[in-house]
Amino acid sequence: MSKRKTIIMPCSGIGKVHGLIAREATYAAADMANAETLCLALLVSGDKDARAKIKDADCIAIDGCPKLCAAKNVEMAGGRVVKSVRVVDSFRGHRGAEPGTATALADDGWKIVREIAADIACGLGKSEVK
Amino acid sequence: MSDGDIKVGIISCSGEEIPEGTISRLATRRVLELMRPGNTVTICLPLFLAGNEAEQDFARKHPTITVDGCGKLCAKKGTEKHSGPVSAALVVSDILDSQCSCCARSAKDRTESDKEAVWLVSEEIAKAVDSILTENGGCCNSEDDTDSATCACSKPVPGMEILVDGKPITVAGLALIFDHLAVNGLAPDDKCGDKLLETVRIYHAIEPEEENAYKAALILAYKTYRRKS
Repeated sequence: MSKRKTIIMPCSGIGKVHGLIAREATYAAADMANAETLCLALLVSGDKDARAKIKDADCIAIDGCPKLCAAKNVEMAGGRVVKSVRVVDSFRGHRGAEPGTATALADDGWKIVREIAADIACGLGKSEVK
Repeated sequence: MSDGDIKVGIISCSGEEIPEGTISRLATRRVLELMRPGNTVTICLPLFLAGNEAEQDFARKHPTITVDGCGKLCAKKGTEKHSGPVSAALVVSDILDSQCSCCARSAKDRTESDKEAVWLVSEEIAKAVDSILTENGGCCNSEDDTDSATCACSKPVPGMEILVDGKPITVAGLALIFDHLAVNGLAPDDKCGDKLLETVRIYHAIEPEEENAYKAALILAYKTYRRKS
């Protein structure tokens, strides 16, 4: 991984639990790896400061669904996506999981959040999980 | 609550960088799930802004409220750019003034201040929904339709009708029960029957020989309810 700043961008999809998992995994990974996040809507709306910020950073996108709004929008805004995480893929190891809703996560949802965050932090060389 | 004829779209900025973004998201969800479930829908802002035709078409056809976390107004500006003027534009930082200074971005850090902030913003969204529905001659499924001369606790809890063995049965407070179970993570699948039955029978008498029929009816009703929310 380069010395560039890391920015983690979730889709925050509001209709399904996957969007909330993406959002919470972003906060958890940012805490573990001392990384930042950025408002996706601000970036997509063309804000100059937001675009400048991602231009000088390595971006990790966390998307809830296969539409990959976060990854695609970061790339469209000129950002470099070094890792693209799909929450739906994380469910494969959790058959029958009850993750909660788009409003609140249940225990299974938080478990998936921690796994995604730990994987990202590990990739950034931060193996210690808070 | 029954479905209204008019669906108001609520578009939340959900800004990840600031607590106000989390509040905008949660307040929007609260209105969708608990306060005006029959009259509101939401769409993902990043998908909308990225140019998804179906999502942008929705905002052209329906009255829309935007809920932005801060004065940058990403949701309002984006919606107006793609779909024309919005019916109402709310800004969390304006509604809460300095009250959100101690709010959190993540749910794991949430305190009473966050809940209060979400409550205040959701009240404002619900008012905006009611105002739009009134202007459009639609039905306001308001929680606040209180007669000032009537004590709220004397009002019957609204019921929901389910078909048990083909027979219509009204279960009082079923929507509230569904909302409670949804918040606690009950998935709308074929395995939710036992939990539904266990919770509903606290408030509604179910004979042992009726259990299977009730379970099937409740699973179907819960799936339908969750699809709409």
